[in-house]
Parts: sequence; structure tokens; C-alpha cells
Amino acid sequence: MKRKVVARVIASALSAVLMTTMLTGCTFGFASDPDDPNEEVKEVPIDTSVDTFSYDSSLDGTSITLLNSKAEIQVALEKMGAAYEEKSGVHVEVMPVTDGDSPYTKVVSLYNSGNPPTLSILDTTDVIALAEEKAADLTNEPWTAEAEEYLTKVNGKVYSFPLCIEGRGMIYNKKVIEDALGEAFDPDSIKTLSQFKDLLDRLVDAGIEKPVSLAKEDWSLGAHHLQYVYEVYDGTSEGAQEVIEKLKNGEMKLESYERMNDFLDMFDVLKEYNVAKGDPLGADYDEMAIDLADGKTAFWFNGNWAWPNLSEAGAENEDEYGFLPYFMNDDPNDFVNQQIQASPSKQVMMDGQVASEKEQAAAKEFLNWIVYSEIGQQMLVKTCNVIPPFINNPYEPADPLSRDIYEKVQDGKAFNAAAIVPNDHWSILGAAMQKYLAGRSDREELIETAQKYWDDQE
Amino acid sequence: MKQTTIGGNKRKAANMLAMLGLILIFAAYMFPFLMVVINSLKQKRDIIKSPFSWLYTIKGLSFDNFVKAFTQMDFLNAFKNSLIITVSSTILVTLFAAMLAYYIVRHNNMISKITFALMVASMIIPFQAIMIPLVSIYGGTLNILNHRLTLIFMHTGFSMAMSVFMFHGFIKGNVPIALEEAAYIDGCTHSQTFFKIVLPLLKPIISTMVILNSMAFWNDFLLPSLVLTDKKLLTLPLSTYSFYGTYSADYGTIMAGLLLCVIPILILYIVLQKQIIGGVVAGAVK
Amino acid sequence: MRSKENKKDFCMFAFPGLFCFLAVVILPFIYGIYLTLTDWNGVAKVKNFVGLKNFAGVMKDAQFWTSLLLTFKYVIVVVVLVNVLAFAIAYLLTRGIKGQNFFRAGFFTPNLIGGIVLGYIWQFVFSRVFVSVGEATGWKLFEVSWLSDPNKAFAALVLVSVWQLSGYMILIYVAGFMGLSEDVMEAAEIDGASGFVKLKNIIMPLMMSSVTICLFLTLSRAFMVYDVNLSLTAGAPYGTTEMAAMHVYEKAFTSRQFGVGQAEAFILFVIVACISGLQVYLTKKQEVEA
Repeated sequence: MKRKVVARVIASALSAVLMTTMLTGCTFGFASDPDDPNEEVKEVPIDTSVDTFSYDSSLDGTSITLLNSKAEIQVALEKMGAAYEEKSGVHVEVMPVTDGDSPYTKVVSLYNSGNPPTLSILDTTDVIALAEEKAADLTNEPWTAEAEEYLTKVNGKVYSFPLCIEGRGMIYNKKVIEDALGEAFDPDSIKTLSQFKDLLDRLVDAGIEKPVSLAKEDWSLGAHHLQYVYEVYDGTSEGAQEVIEKLKNGEMKLESYERMNDFLDMFDVLKEYNVAKGDPLGADYDEMAIDLADGKTAFWFNGNWAWPNLSEAGAENEDEYGFLPYFMNDDPNDFVNQQIQASPSKQVMMDGQVASEKEQAAAKEFLNWIVYSEIGQQMLVKTCNVIPPFINNPYEPADPLSRDIYEKVQDGKAFNAAAIVPNDHWSILGAAMQKYLAGRSDREELIETAQKYWDDQE
Repeated sequence: MKQTTIGGNKRKAANMLAMLGLILIFAAYMFPFLMVVINSLKQKRDIIKSPFSWLYTIKGLSFDNFVKAFTQMDFLNAFKNSLIITVSSTILVTLFAAMLAYYIVRHNNMISKITFALMVASMIIPFQAIMIPLVSIYGGTLNILNHRLTLIFMHTGFSMAMSVFMFHGFIKGNVPIALEEAAYIDGCTHSQTFFKIVLPLLKPIISTMVILNSMAFWNDFLLPSLVLTDKKLLTLPLSTYSFYGTYSADYGTIMAGLLLCVIPILILYIVLQKQIIGGVVAGAVK
Repeated sequence: MRSKENKKDFCMFAFPGLFCFLAVVILPFIYGIYLTLTDWNGVAKVKNFVGLKNFAGVMKDAQFWTSLLLTFKYVIVVVVLVNVLAFAIAYLLTRGIKGQNFFRAGFFTPNLIGGIVLGYIWQFVFSRVFVSVGEATGWKLFEVSWLSDPNKAFAALVLVSVWQLSGYMILIYVAGFMGLSEDVMEAAEIDGASGFVKLKNIIMPLMMSSVTICLFLTLSRAFMVYDVNLSLTAGAPYGTTEMAAMHVYEKAFTSRQFGVGQAEAFILFVIVACISGLQVYLTKKQEVEA
């Protein structure tokens, strides 16, 4: 009897909640911010008036699928697909990689199910693993000419479309630094690790106790930090490949590799000034964005993909954020102290095994549309908010982080070195880095673990 | 006389103590849910900076997260999918498992023994071990993924072992063979006996299995994510995917979405709970 | 006559359920075992027979054995805690306490939520809520996130598992207690048996069948912990909380050694099968023939 009442109360409360929500979408605040928290998602207007792209009308009615592993652009890709469908009649179904799945696992299970996506957005390592077995050869596509520097080749052939450039380094909040020091801050004035350390000391004296945010996630430590070691061998992808080969076949030992120690010198500095020094493995990713935006910290090691987080934390497009290099030593002429790393990280692979000729043609047209059509060019930059690797794309990214990388790429202040490491590198050595970050292992042990990892590779 | 009073007081005190302990444990149990409810009404920044507070949020409380979750999940459609899949799978598995368990209990032959042993053993197969083979058989060879029916069939198969196990124990302990023998004498066929005599006796365990199975189906993530990729077919848990970003999660919307997923099944549980308890008394037939 | 009837019974009662089960569980399982003997990587078109090479790979994978050892530790703690707690709570909830139905429903709610989401909620609680409690109160216990220390992270994993699994077991124990006839309890009362004696000599033997089921369920579930492991700690800090099932998954998909991962899954299955088989055998012996 009593329970029936409870059930009825819950049910009616529920329907009341749903009703109110659906009818009004209202906000009730106890201590509301006068700035309306119901921020509308900013729609960047896309100019569709000019479209000189020539569509192949025979593809009308074809349907292709696109597997997306970059969750933050899921909605943007859906919009892009819809815009393309409107013009071409080709339907693009955007499938997300769900949480808990790695893109690779998802693609593999989709191939096993006989129903692979026509296009899949994957990491470069995944593309290399799958290319010769599954992918279609894209070497002769016209867009390859627009992104020459950013193509990934497997045995001389191109199997993937570089979707965007991503770069990483020490993100700074210019206003915080200037407010603390009471003087103008010129990022170019910092040229060595010692100068960087001096700057941090001055910030500490000015009251920012721990000016650096350092993520504890294994992908950050294992892939974004540690991979510098290979990337800065000479700042090219070929160089990175060479050093990895040498490590694999034992020609080179990490212990005597100068860049390994250089890298740890910088990492030690970051560790020292880490805002979460008391509990480095308890650091929270979202909180780091808030801390940087609020000025509790002045630096955050991350990449331009962190913008949505910063923006959520209150940063505006007009604010001045940018990147400092990952300083490694005191030689101002060393390129690592001058340039930041920026390379195409997400690649689009096209299925060449199951997809029909028509589907392949439609997929190819979609990729060309992104590169050549006025609408595609705009949407790649404005809707997806990524840095285009294609030189013919005239649009500039809107957020400060992407803009900074875009400018650095244009000015030659970025190096493009993509290190292709085994797929479990980030997870296994990320764990070793966590241990080091937490102060539970020393340099020697870390280097030993990494060396052993490479010794075990075949 | 005196003794009983003391005993009574002691008992009362013990009861009070037990009650207190129970309430404490219960509060600890409910704590995460409280966090979910509170934070589902807050903006991300407040969630991160002060997960506890309710009144002192900067941006105030709102149902925005629910609205966002509702639309982004395509709630009504996902709800329909979840409902169809859960209801059909639950009916199938409950019926088939009850029949199979009945067969095993009443026929003491090799087939029964092997089947039962196999089922018990299968409960400890890690799902990871059959995930890829499963997909490759049903997708690669038979090409029947991406249908609700396939998922219903797989749900039925996967929960068969556990359900048979439970029914088996109950039938063995609570269904007297004498009743069936009487029915045979009256000229009932085996299936008549099962549906008219045995099945009604199974009511308590059926309620239990309906709840356990429907909850498992309603919440399942891994299997549906392998079987269903077509957006129109996504179930509720699958439809919350977009709230988890690569680098960080949209906590407020996740929690709102979670509540939206859980509430229907919570209602079912509250409604059916009476059935279980009322039904278990039927065990007195023993 | 009898055998004909039996055949009809089989088709009618056993076949539908058995078919689903065999097609969905056993067939892929056997196919999976076959795959451990090949060099298939999950993607390639060809599968070459390599014999026991993958099993040799398992022997070399030190991390697998470490994770297995950790899993054993975890299973023991979880099984004991879950069963003691669930048994005690179920006992309290069948004594006619006010609002016991409400409590029963409440304790079961963790089961209403899938494991992945559940892990995220708790991650949020451990890394944010607890830490903010620590900040506010200065309690040492909550000063730093539990998930950043190997031992505390393990404790967190145990805590969440107990929280999640016990509701299910409470339900089974409650059913067991309700099955005990009032007569038995009353008889015990009149004989003047004290609480503990009553528990040991009268209740326990009658509850053994519930205990068997609950032990079996907690054992197998604890051995195969994956969802919560992945979403709560993901093996962090530095791989110290990676359980066997998660390692298997990582091996197959992150390290891309599909055959070795599949072989490890098979070994895990054999171990769990032996242990739970032994457990069922031992506790069955304790059951009173009713």
C-alpha cells in the first residue's frame, strides 16, 4: 500500500520534471550568475552562397559511413555530412567510437562483422597497421598536392587523408603572466630552459605558488611528453623513425642518448613547479583548464585540442593564449628551444576491401569536397575548428591556441615530426612515467624500463 | 516474567542498534546517487570546483543538463529501442530458461547433466574471450548484425546459463513432483502440466529473474555496442556516448543522461518488488 | 514409449534455450580456442596455424602473471566482504524492521546502473568529492585522491565492487531467509539457543544452498572484473591495479597481440573454472538435504 504511494509519487514527480523541462527549458537558480548560464552554442555562420565544386551527379543517392574517433567534432562532422549531402545527394552517416572502445578495436570489430565504415578517422599508427591489408590507395588523389608535407606514406603509397594538424607545447596565459609580473610578456624572449626556469621563479615570487599544470593521464605522459625523445632527434619524421629503429635493434641505448636526459631535465622542472605537486597523480584534467583560465597557474602542458576545455572554463577567443616550446637545454640555437611540435595526428582511411566502387567514388569526392569546395574549406576550419593541413585553405582558425599553431606553422616555428611507436607505447611507458612523476622511481629506473620496452620489441 | 522483560529490552536495544547500523550503511550506499542527483543540476565548472555544494553554486541550478541529454540522446527513440529489446529478450529468456531448467530437473539423463555442467562452466567465460569470435561469426559469416532481433537472440543466449541455474535451484527445492504426478493421472500432457501447474508455482523466481535480466539488458553496453551501429537502433546506454569526450567528459549531461536511463528501470523494480516478496512466501508449500 | 516421450519433451522444453545458449556462447568460445592456435591478428585475411606459440607468449608475459596474482588478492577480499555484508544485511532485512522493503530496494539500486557508468561516478567521488571533503575538514584520509596511491586505489576498487555486488547477493540471501520456515526459528527460540549458536547450528546449515550460489556468483564475477576496473582506475596508478581480464583486453587490442590475449583469456577461464568447481563441490557437501 505504502509502496504504491511511493511509486506514484516518484512517477508523477518524474513526469512533472519532464514536462517542465520540455515545455520551458527553464532555469531556476539559487545564486544565479547575471551572465546567463544558458549559453547558446555559438554557431559560426557558413557562407554557402559560392560553390564552384563540381559534383558527380551519378553518385546521387549513394550512402557512405564515416567512423569518427575524435569525439569533440562529432556534432561538427554530422553538420558537415549534412551540408555535403544537400549539395551532392550522397548520404554521410557519422558513426562515433563509443567510450571504452579504442578506434582500432572498433574498426577491427567492424571489419570482422563484414560491415566496415567507408571512411574511418584513425590515429596515424592505426592507419599504418591497417593500410596494406584494408585501405584503398589514395596516392593519386588531387588533394595530395595540397598537403605534401603532411602525408603519411606506407611503402611509398598514401593510404590516408590528413584531417588536421595538432600541435603541443607549454600553453601560457599571457594575461596571468603580465598581471603577476607587472610588465609586458614576450614569449619569444624565453629561449632556454634556464630562462624558462627563471620565469617560473619570478612567477612564484609574484605570488603564483605553483605556476604549472601537468596532466597525470598515461596518454599525456607516455605519448605527449615521452615521445619528444624520438621526435626531437632531428625534428623530422624520418629522424624519429631512425631513432626508433636504432632503439629496436639495439644500436642505440637510451642511457647514452642525449635527448633522453634533455627531456627529463625539462620534465623535472615541470614536476618541481607542478600545481598538484602534493598529489601529482590526483591531478584533474578539467580542473587544470579552470586553473589556467582563472590564473591560479600560468602554464599547462597540452595541445590545441585543449581549447574546448579552456573555453568551457571561461576563456574567450579574444584572450591571449599561446605556446612556448618544450625547452630541453640551454642552447638558444637548438631547434627544440625555438619550435613547437605540430603534425597531422588524425588521418582518414578509406576502405578498399568491402566498399563498392560507387561508395569509394563518393568517399573520394567527399574528401576532395573538404579540400576544394568553398563550403568544405570553411566547415573544416570553422565548424570542426581544426587547423587544416591543406595549403589551399584560406581560412584561419578562430581560437587562440589553434591560431598560434597555425601562425607558427606559417612562420617556420614548428617542426613536423611524427614518431610512429608501437601501439602500447603510451600505455606501458605512460605507466612508467606516472611512477616517475609520483616520485616512486628515479631517472635510472625510468630509463631502464623504457630501454627494456624497446629491447622486447621485435 | 521478569526475565522476558529484560530479554525484551535487550532485544529492543539490539534492534535499535541494528537499525542504526543499517541506516548508516544505507546512507553510504546512497551517497554516490546523491552526488549524481545534485550534480546533474549543475554546470560543469561548479561540478568540478565544488562537487558537494548545492546552494553556493556560481552558475545556479538548472534542468539544462536534462534538456541537453534528452535531445542529444534522441531519448524517445532510444527509449523505444531499449524497451523493445529488453522486453522481448526478457520474455524469451525467462520462458526458455524455465522450460530448460524444468527439463533438466525432471530428466536425470546424460543430456541434462552435460547441459547443466556446461552452463555452470560457461558462466565464467570472460566476455573478452568470445567477443571477436562472436562478431566474426554473426557479422562476417552470417551477416546479421545491426538488427534488433540479433541482439535479442544474443541477450537470450548470454543470460540463459545464469537463468537456468537459478530456475534449476528453485524447481528442485520448491516444486513438488507429487503435483505433477497427480496432473498426469488426471490426463494432462507434459506441456499442459508445465504451463498450468508448474509455471504458476515459479512465480517468485520468475519475478526475480525478470528483474535481474531486464536490468542487465537495459544497462548493457558492450554487447549492444558490438551488434548495433545504426544510429536509429541505439539503446539508451549507447546513446549517451557523445557526452564522453576524448579528453574530458561532460559530467553534468552524463549524470542527467544517467538518471534518464535509470528511472524507467527503477520504477519497474519498485513495482515488481512486491511480487517477489509476496511470492517467496509460496515457498511454504515445501 | 518412454524414450519417445522423452524426445518430445526435449524438443519442447530443452531445445529452444539450449540452442540460443550453444549458438551464442559455446560456438564462439570454441572458435576462440581455435584462434589461440593461429597467428590471426584480428584483421588479417589469412590465419596460419602456429600450434602453442601463443601459449609460450603467455608464459613470457610477466605482467599477466602479476595481474593474475593481484586478481587473486582482489577476489579473496571481495568475496569475503560481499558475502559477510550481504548475509548480515539480509538477516536484518528479514526480521520485520520498519521500512525493510524500502531498504531492500535501496540496497539493490547499484545494480540498476551499468558497470562502466558506475566506475565513472565513483571516480568522480574519489578524485573530486573525497578530496574536497579532505580540503574542508583536513582529514588525512581524504587529503589526496585515493586513486593516486597503489594501495588506496586497490581499496577503492574493492570498495566499489563490494558496493555493486552486494545488492544482488542481499536479494538471494533475503530469499533464502524467507524460505526458512518460521517453525524452525521458533523452535530454536524455545530451545533457548543464543544468537551465535542459533546462527551456527540452525541457520547456517539451512542457508547453505544460498551460500553456494552467492559464493559462486561473487567468485566468478570478481575474477572477471572488467568494467569497473577500466572506468574506475584503468590500471592506474602506473599499472598497479590492472586485473587479469583487463590485461587480457589490453594485450589483445592495445598491444595488438591478439593470439596471446585470446590464450590468456582461455587460461583465465580454466583457472576460474577449477576454483569455482572446487568451491561448489565443497559447499554443496555442507548443504542439508531438504
